[in-house]
Amino acid sequence: MFTTDHAFYLWMSYGAAAAAIVAEIVMLRLRRARAAARIEEERDLETTD
Amino acid sequence: MAWSYFASPATFYRLAGRMAPWFFALAAISGALGLYIGLYVAPTDAQQGEVYRVIFIHVPAAWMSMFTYFVLACYAAVSLTFNTRLAAMMARALAPTGAMFTFVALWTGAFWGRPTWGTYWVWDARITSELVLLFLYFGFIALTNAFEDPRRGDRAGALLALIGVVNLPIIYFSVKWWNTLHQGSSVSFQGTSMHVQMLWAMLLVAFSFWMYTIGTSLVRCRAIILERESRARWVRELKAA
Repeated sequence: MFTTDHAFYLWMSYGAAAAAIVAEIVMLRLRRARAAARIEEERDLETTD
Repeated sequence: MAWSYFASPATFYRLAGRMAPWFFALAAISGALGLYIGLYVAPTDAQQGEVYRVIFIHVPAAWMSMFTYFVLACYAAVSLTFNTRLAAMMARALAPTGAMFTFVALWTGAFWGRPTWGTYWVWDARITSELVLLFLYFGFIALTNAFEDPRRGDRAGALLALIGVVNLPIIYFSVKWWNTLHQGSSVSFQGTSMHVQMLWAMLLVAFSFWMYTIGTSLVRCRAIILERESRARWVRELKAA
């Protein structure tokens, strides 16, 4: 069905949904990594003080 | 055990970390099964042909966009009433996923509408109220992040979320209240007019989106806890371990 007359509409729908989910997961991992890195930085600063 | 025990960010952080992978696993399994049935097993629609298969993404995404907002508003109400930090954090954690599903519902609806209605967009009551829902999510995210003090952001966002709840019945009943291009519900509590394989595919993808939403909101809430409680002793000990 992804090669029929309406293939463009199916690809655009399923492709965009997959891209949105992947983008959200990537952003979520980045946010969590940033939060963890900030805590590590603060902890390192405290130990050097 | 008191419910307040689970309302503690420290307890919730550990519990959410253990639960999230299970929700993601359920989402992957049910999503794969639902899409397999929807794309390869369910028959071709007699009127619309293959393009009807967009509904296996569109309808579950639209359901999740509304359901997620309802849950977000419930958390907002709890955070306003009992002044609980965790409820406000969960409301914040749900908003981006809700916005994503609202966008997916609008986008896939446009790509289903073009070959079936002849247009990508029409200012129809159902579609316009769904667009308003997307703006409500954006407004909530912007408002909660607009304050330096996160607790003030929580309260302002909670008020907006509660006011925005009025849009949910408008979306749901819009096809009954107004003469819309968008068709009425194919699935209701009274029954369905869909082929059983189509129905199973749609329900499985909806379940998958539901599990995905719980999984992502748990992971995002953990990140929010780390951001907000970074100076707490338990967070320092957690990261040091």
